[in-house]
Amino acid sequence: MATQDRSSYAEGFGQVSRTVGTIFRYLLLASTLFGLVVLSILLVYVANDAIQPLTADAGWHLTFFLTLVLPTLATGGYLAWSNVDALKLGATTLGLFVVGLLFSGGVAIIFIEVLAPLVWFAYVIAFAIAVLVTVALQQRSRQIPFLPRFAIAMFAFYLSLFGFPGIIGGYVGLPQLVPSVASLILFAPIVPLDWIQLTLTVGVFAATPVALYASNISDRRAGLAMGALAVGTVAAAAVVGPAVFGIGPIPSVILASVAVVPTAAYVGGAAVTREQARIGLALPAVIVVGALAGEVLVDTLGYAGPQSWVDWQFLTSDHSGTAANAGLYPAIAGSILLMLTVAALSFPIGVGAALYLEEYAPDNRYTRFIDVNISNLAGVPSVVYGLLGLGLFVTRLGQPTGTILVGGATLALLILPIVIISAREAIRSVPEEMRQASYGMGATRWQTMKNVILPRAFPGILTGTILALGRAIGETAPLIMIGAPNVLFSFPSELSSKVSAMPLQVYSWASYFATSDFYQQAVPAGVVVLVTVLLAMNSIAIVLRNRYERET
Amino acid sequence: MAEDRINRREFVAAAGSTLGALGLAGCVENDRVRAGGGGGLAGTIDIAGSSTVFPLATAMSERFKLTHDGVDFNLQSTGSGGGFANHFCPGRTDFNNASRPIKSQEQETCTSNGVEPVELTVATDALTVIVNNDADWIESVTVEELATIWSGEEQPQRWSDVNADWPDEPIELYGPSDASGTYDYFIEAILHGGESELTHRQDYSATEQDRTIIQGVEGSEFAIGYMGYAYYSENTERVTALPVDDGDGPVEPSLETAKSGEYSPLSRPLFTYPAKGSLAKEHVASFARFWLANATNREIVADEVGYVPLDAEQQAEQLATLEAAILEANTG
Repeated sequence: MATQDRSSYAEGFGQVSRTVGTIFRYLLLASTLFGLVVLSILLVYVANDAIQPLTADAGWHLTFFLTLVLPTLATGGYLAWSNVDALKLGATTLGLFVVGLLFSGGVAIIFIEVLAPLVWFAYVIAFAIAVLVTVALQQRSRQIPFLPRFAIAMFAFYLSLFGFPGIIGGYVGLPQLVPSVASLILFAPIVPLDWIQLTLTVGVFAATPVALYASNISDRRAGLAMGALAVGTVAAAAVVGPAVFGIGPIPSVILASVAVVPTAAYVGGAAVTREQARIGLALPAVIVVGALAGEVLVDTLGYAGPQSWVDWQFLTSDHSGTAANAGLYPAIAGSILLMLTVAALSFPIGVGAALYLEEYAPDNRYTRFIDVNISNLAGVPSVVYGLLGLGLFVTRLGQPTGTILVGGATLALLILPIVIISAREAIRSVPEEMRQASYGMGATRWQTMKNVILPRAFPGILTGTILALGRAIGETAPLIMIGAPNVLFSFPSELSSKVSAMPLQVYSWASYFATSDFYQQAVPAGVVVLVTVLLAMNSIAIVLRNRYERET
Repeated sequence: MAEDRINRREFVAAAGSTLGALGLAGCVENDRVRAGGGGGLAGTIDIAGSSTVFPLATAMSERFKLTHDGVDFNLQSTGSGGGFANHFCPGRTDFNNASRPIKSQEQETCTSNGVEPVELTVATDALTVIVNNDADWIESVTVEELATIWSGEEQPQRWSDVNADWPDEPIELYGPSDASGTYDYFIEAILHGGESELTHRQDYSATEQDRTIIQGVEGSEFAIGYMGYAYYSENTERVTALPVDDGDGPVEPSLETAKSGEYSPLSRPLFTYPAKGSLAKEHVASFARFWLANATNREIVADEVGYVPLDAEQQAEQLATLEAAILEANTG
């Protein structure tokens, strides 16, 4: 090259061609963008097919542009320019509300279709009583040694949930002598209305962190007041929801507990504590007001919106032979139930294994062998896990094909290695100095585990588990292998009923139905819903991780 | 912990007392206490089998569900043979759909497991041979030519090997897999027609999804495939159906020619096989009755799904078979 010409070597000293470096850099950029761009183009196509924005009137677009897009851009732009912290606060609030809405939908589906509020109420109360007994025992930990205390606590749980002799007696054939607290409530002659049951349980679950948060910010009087206000809001929602918005009392209570109360608490807390950033709350306000104003205007002016396939009907109806009537409801519920099963199975086993391997296992060739194999298992194709599920649960254990239990157990096996690996990462990231400091204070291994390692590693463990669940929710092959049905009209109501899942339903629509409507509209609509749920789960994981990293 | 923070016990006490009052405010009689057996049918119906009959079974169960909310359906598309072998005969399903009659070997497997299949005809199909829309060099195909194209003995690789008038281009073949009743029926009607005992060639793109066949044929000018009429009728713009000549001139596949029997030898009956044991359950029996009662319904069978409905005479015959089986199931 000219710059490296020998005759001008002396003059050219220090001038090295940068061309190669520049080309290399842009090649790297291209490889970074390639996958992203291709995937985004696909998603844009899919979203266009599913939502069909071009079918809306021009007036509809104009109205929403003026009321929603323009003010949002203006507010966002102003915040980005003047106060980035405020923008972050606004975006977080908005995200919290949207994710809360999605989850309240999921929880509401469960209470409406699967779990009767009374059953939930009965078991929560029974569980709470046992917890209170355990806490009371804990207070006397100096008088009573651990083992009797543990035995009494276990017995309290068993008696409260199952009675005596309970399910074990049931297997042996003994008659029930003492009814459980749960069954006392289940068969009480008079019970509270179902929305009151939910307010007392779900509402209180939502109010507790609010009260603790408020008492942290201010004092305990404020905490109690805020907790009471939260419960009051939930109870009020049960009355206001049906009367004003036409939403049933059960979804109203859930919506208030899962979406409204946490968002309101976050907004209130931020408004009090973060004076610099609280201007950012204008962003969600602008968006909500803009959306409502746009909706009202469009209604009065008579502009038609897009003929979106992702609509209320799609989300709440069963499958149908005609694409226009087909919906994702049983599949959504199936996915939720599968996720609950998978989480319940994989979390304790996976975290347990990770804790053992990280904290207790000696470093010898057996543990290294296990280490290598766990990493390998994480890479085994999902269809092989499907085969394992079929062979183990259906053929060997004689379970019926395609049930929630079999599907959930198979998917749990699938993500177990990922859960273990990510939990180990989280545990490993707890600084060694903290362990040593704990031991130095005279703490035992168990105390160090309980007071130092677990609290510190927990957000990381949770993040890893949520991301792993995100993988499980998109899996189709294992479900096909274990014989989950292609079409299901109704709802799985117990662990042994057949289950469909969102990706499986999308696959069925794409494969077994002839009309082009199915694969040009129903499939994209299903994909949009699936991706939305996945993004919501991942966003929770990312927010958790960010908070965690900021603290460390 | 700081003095002015909330105390957990206090919080529980405060929450408990307010909520207790709230809880007592609205009470209702517990309907669990007087829960009895409600009217109406309830139960689960598992259906597997032919992908050809799958859309019909879906349409029927969807309609049945409208009036019987307590009945849950699980439908799977596994192919006729796959359904018999893996689901029906082991006793995992109540119905098996089939696009060909049950084989004696399958019958034996079922019987040895104590499952007794009851044969019900539910519709007539015109098994359809499709080619690419640009394949203007082919107008129709004779049964002999079809047999040559698909035979395992000759395995022609180029169109000109079958008929000298056709182009010297490689044949691309798309068809259902051997778990499919459509595959079995094609062998029966085309490859085993007359005295010949040809086998079906295996070097073709086999799939249990009829949509894949359409996509394959749509994508290549020199492709040929076959499948049930319903899938073709939904995709008439994407591929072209070949008229089939059984010696009396080429006949286009259609509901009319299939019904009249002109579209020979590829018009065929479609079946569903309820297990006799399952028919003792009221919800299964009443779904079977519902299916046959609607098997003459043009709107469902022909317009929505794309098969030839039964006529009143066939319907009466099938209903008689079903009623006899239900009676036997309940008494014996």
